[in-house]
Amino acid sequence: MTNFLIRRLFQMFIVIVLASMVSYGLLYIAPGGPLLGLQQQQQGGANRITEADIARIKARFELDLYMPVRFTRWFIGFPKEPITIGDQVFFADLQVGCATTQTVRLRYPDGRVEFAEICATPVTLADLEGRRSSNGILFGDFGLSQVILRDRPISTLIWSRLPYTIALMGISTLITLMIAIPLGVYSAVRQYSPFDTAATTVSFIGTSLPTFFFGLMLILVFAVLAKNAGLPYLPPGGATANRDYIIPFFGLFELTVQAGSFLDRVLHFILPCLVLTFVSVAAWSRFIRSSMLEVLRQDYVRTARAKGVKERLVILKHAFRNALIPFITLVAGILPALVAGAAITESVFNWPGLGRLLVDALNRSDYTVALALLYVTLVLQLVGYLISDILYTVADPRIRLS
Amino acid sequence: MSPKLKFPLSGVLLLVLLVPILAACGAGTTSAPVVETVVVTTEPEVIVVTATPGEDMGSTETPADTPPDAEQTGEWQTPHPILGTLEVRQAIAYCTDRRSLIESVYPFLEDDEKDALLMDTFLPQGHWALAPDEEITIYEFDPERGNALLEEAGWIAEAEGEPRFNEAGDPLTLKFTTTNAAFRQTWAAVLEQQLLENCGIQIIRTHAPGSWWFGNTTGLQRRDFELGAFAWVGQADPGGTTLYACNQIPLPDNNWEGQNYMGWCNETASRAVLAANNKLDRDQRIEQFHALQAEFTADMVSLPLFNRFEAAAASNNLVNFRPNPTTDSILVNVDEWELADGGDTVVLGFTQEPASLWLVVEDAAVANSASGLLKVRAVTSFDYDYQPDALEELPTIENGGTVLNTVEPAVGDTVWSVDGEAVELAEGVEVINADGEIVAYDGSPITLNQLAVTFEFPAMTWEDGEPLKAADYELAYAIECSEDSGAISLTVCNSIADVEFRDNGYTITYLPGAQWAEYFAYTLGTYSNLFSVGAYPSHQELADGRKLADVPASEWSTLPEIAEQPLSYGPYRLVEWQKGQRMIFEANPNYYKGEVAIKTLIIEFFDDTNQAVAQLLTGNVDVLGSETLGAGPELETVLEAAEAGQIQAFPITSPTWEHMDMNLFIR
Repeated sequence: MTNFLIRRLFQMFIVIVLASMVSYGLLYIAPGGPLLGLQQQQQGGANRITEADIARIKARFELDLYMPVRFTRWFIGFPKEPITIGDQVFFADLQVGCATTQTVRLRYPDGRVEFAEICATPVTLADLEGRRSSNGILFGDFGLSQVILRDRPISTLIWSRLPYTIALMGISTLITLMIAIPLGVYSAVRQYSPFDTAATTVSFIGTSLPTFFFGLMLILVFAVLAKNAGLPYLPPGGATANRDYIIPFFGLFELTVQAGSFLDRVLHFILPCLVLTFVSVAAWSRFIRSSMLEVLRQDYVRTARAKGVKERLVILKHAFRNALIPFITLVAGILPALVAGAAITESVFNWPGLGRLLVDALNRSDYTVALALLYVTLVLQLVGYLISDILYTVADPRIRLS
Repeated sequence: MSPKLKFPLSGVLLLVLLVPILAACGAGTTSAPVVETVVVTTEPEVIVVTATPGEDMGSTETPADTPPDAEQTGEWQTPHPILGTLEVRQAIAYCTDRRSLIESVYPFLEDDEKDALLMDTFLPQGHWALAPDEEITIYEFDPERGNALLEEAGWIAEAEGEPRFNEAGDPLTLKFTTTNAAFRQTWAAVLEQQLLENCGIQIIRTHAPGSWWFGNTTGLQRRDFELGAFAWVGQADPGGTTLYACNQIPLPDNNWEGQNYMGWCNETASRAVLAANNKLDRDQRIEQFHALQAEFTADMVSLPLFNRFEAAAASNNLVNFRPNPTTDSILVNVDEWELADGGDTVVLGFTQEPASLWLVVEDAAVANSASGLLKVRAVTSFDYDYQPDALEELPTIENGGTVLNTVEPAVGDTVWSVDGEAVELAEGVEVINADGEIVAYDGSPITLNQLAVTFEFPAMTWEDGEPLKAADYELAYAIECSEDSGAISLTVCNSIADVEFRDNGYTITYLPGAQWAEYFAYTLGTYSNLFSVGAYPSHQELADGRKLADVPASEWSTLPEIAEQPLSYGPYRLVEWQKGQRMIFEANPNYYKGEVAIKTLIIEFFDDTNQAVAQLLTGNVDVLGSETLGAGPELETVLEAAEAGQIQAFPITSPTWEHMDMNLFIR
C-alpha cells in the first residue's frame, strides 16, 4: 500500500505539472485579455493610449514576459529577480520578455523590402525585481485576480464562493445517491416491469434535457407563471432574497418570507437543486441498473439463490456490493464536482458558486482566476481517483493495490 | 561567512532549461538584410505615402495618385478595383434598404421607432453637430438610381438576381466582413439578399470572431477587409479626428496607428475635422463638423446604417427614472427617484459584478453606477450635451468660468503638441496656435492658447461628517494622475500645467496649446470615467493605521477602503457588499442636497439576462438598465410586459451605431 501511494503521488505530481502546462498554454493563446481593444483607443482626445501606456499595462499583467517565464512565475513563483550569490549577481541581463516592439524595414541584398516587428525594449531579469509575483500555485498561492477582483487575492474570491457550491453540490449529490441507488437496483431487479419502463423513460428525459433549458423551464413555470397566476411560487434565482416577500396559498393564507431567513434560503435552494438532482439521478440510476443487471446474471448469484439465501440478502450482500465497483469510478468525480460546481446550473439560477465564477472568469478574460479554478479541480480530480482506487479494495477484497 | 543565496536550487535547474527556450523566444532577425527603422509618425509625411486624391476624391475611377516610390511607401497603395469608384460606393448606399435591416433585428418596433434609428451621417438624429439635410448627401433606398450608377461605372447586369460583370468579365463581388454576433448575422443576411436582388452586387459574408476582427494585429486594425461592418459609440462630443483625418490611416509605415480604416483622405474633410477639434467656440465647431459631414456623405466611404435600439425597464412603482443614451449610468438622477407607494427600497439588476469601486482601474457600467452613488457629479451628459449638476453653471469661456490666455512660449518651455504629448518647444514641434491652426515651430515667436478652468462647488461633506477640503482635491489629482495607479490613459493629466486647490474647488491650468473641446467638463474626477467632483478623503484612517493620503498610488487598487468600501460624499453610502450577490446602499444623511427619498438601494448581480428579466417580472427587481437587458429576445419580452401594464419600459435610441466601412485600397 505504501509503495502504491508513493508511486501514485509521484504520478499525480507529473500529471499536475503537465496538465498545468497545457491549461496555461491554452489560455495563453486564447484571444482577449486586458490589451484587447487598447490599440483601437490609440486615438486623439482625452483617452488617447500611447505606446508607453500599453507597455505599462503589459507590465502590470506580465504580458510583456515570454510564455515560459510567465508560466514558471505563476506555477512556482520563479524567477522573481536575478540570482544573487554573495555580492555576485547572475543573469541580470537575461532577456525574459519584450516591453515594446518596433516595426522595421528589412532591405535584402536582392532589393526586396519587407516589414518585420522586432523587440525595441527588452525586459530583463533585473527588470522583474520589485514586480508583484505570487509564490506559485504549486505552493498554494493563487495570485491576484486580473479582472473580477482587480488586484486582490484570488483566494478571497474562492473562499467567498466555496460555501455556496459545497452546499448546493453536496446536498444535491447526497439526494442523488439516496434516490439513484435504490432506483437503479429496483429497476434491475424488476427488469421490464412497468416501474422499470417508467424509470427508464424518465431517465432518458433527464439525460437528454439540456440543463440550461430545463432550468429556464422550471423558472418560467414555478416562478414567473406561478406568481402571475397567483399560485404559490418559488424564487427564480439567487441564494437569498433582497427583501421580504409573500407567497400566496390558494387564497387560504399568505406566507411572509423574511429575506435571508432559513426558509428563504431553502426556497432559493429548491430549483437549482432539483435540476442537478434530476439530471444526476437519471444518469446514475441507469449506471447502477446496468451494473446490477450484469452482476445478477453471475453464477455466484444463481448459486446463492439455489442455496436458498433470502432474495433480499442475495441482492444487497451478493449482488449490490459487486455492482458498486464500476460505480466507484463514477463517484470519484464527486470530489472535484463538489468544488468546481455546476457552471451552467449556477449561471442559470444565479447561484453565487464557483461554477458561475469560472464562467464569469472565462467571459471576462480573467485567466488567473480561471487557471486557479482549473488547477483546484485538477488536483481534486486526481485525489478523487486515488480515493476510488483505495475504495476498490474495500468493495472487493480480491483487489490488491500492490 | 556563507554566501547569500536568493534563489531555490530548483530555480537553477529551471533556469538551465529556460535559457535555451528564452534564447529561442528572443531570437533576432538574421543578419542578411539591412534593418532600417521605420519612423512611426502621425505627421503629414504619412499622408503623402498613403493617398493624396485631391478635391475630386471619389469622383474618378482612380481615387488616389500613384505614390512616387512604391518601395518606400509600403502596402495599401493600390486603389480598390471596385470600391475605388465613387459610383459603386454610392450605388451600394442607394441599394441598401436600411429600414429592412432595422426590421430584421427589431421586428417588434413601431414604424416611427424604426425611423428614429436611421442615420444619414456619423451623428445620430438630434445631435447638436448634426448637419441639416440640405448640406449633406442623403441616400434614400433607390435601387433604380443605384443600378444607373453601376451601369455608368461599367458594371453590366446579365440576369436579375445575378451579380453584374464588367467588360473584363470580373463579377461585382465584394468580401463583407463583420463579427459573428447573431445580431449582425441577421441583418447582414438581409443586406446580402437585397444588394444582389436589387442591384446585382454580390457580397460574400465572413463572420469572424470579435477577437480577430478587433484584434490589435488583425482584422480592422490591419485593414484586412473590403466591406467591413462594426459599430462606433456616439458621444456628446463628435471627435472624429482619428476616424476621418488623412494622417490616421493605419499603415505599416505608421505602425498601424489610426482608425481611418477606409483609407479615406479627403483634404477638405481632413482639414475640417482637425479644425473642429482644435477650436473651442461651439458655433465654429458646428460649422466645421457640417463641412466634414458634407464630404463624408458625398464620398460615401462609410455607410451609416442605424443606431441600435435599447430599452430600460422599471417597476410601475418607480417615479422620475430617466434613462438616457449618453449618461454614464441610469443612476445619474437617483437623488430624484421616488416610489409611488411611498416605499423605501429599490433593487437594480446588473449582469456583472464590479471588479472594484475604484474607477481608475475598472470601467464596467455597474462600477460606474455603483461608484457614482458615492460621489457627486459636477457635470451630467444627457442627450449628447453637457449640463451642470453640482456646478452653478458650466465654466465656459463665454461666462468667464474659464479664462483663455494667450502666451508666447520660449524654446524649452513645455507645450502640448499636436500628437497629444507634453513636449519641450523646439524647432519642428507641431502645435495648435491661437488661431486653431496646426503649425510647426520654426523658432520665430508663436502664440498659443492656455486654458485656465475654474470649478466651484457647493459645501459638501463626507459620510463621516468631515467637510470636503482642498487637501481632498489635491489627493485626487496626485493619485489619479499617477503612473503607478494602474490608470490606462493619462493624456488629460499630462496636459495639465498646474492646479490651484481651494476648499470649494480648484482651477486647472493646462499647458499652452492644450485645447480640449470639453474643457468645461474635465474635472479632476474625469480621468476615472465620471464627471465627478473628484475628491478622496485625505483625513481617512485605514485599518492598518495609515492615513489614506500617505498611501502610495501603487497600493490604491488593493486597498479595501478604496476598492470595496470607499467613503461617500454622494447620495448613498455602501453598507454591505455580498460578493457574487448584491451591494446594499443606504441614504447618506450628509448628502449636500439633503437625504434622498429612497432610503435603501440594492444592486443585484445576474450573469444571465433571462434570470434578470424573471426577477423583474416576479417583482424581486425594480430596475433593469439597457446594459443589462441587451439586445436579445429578452428585450421583446420586457416590451410586451410593459404593453400588458406589468412594468414600465423606456425605449432608448442607443448611441451605438452600425455602419459599413468601404476599404478604398488593396494591399
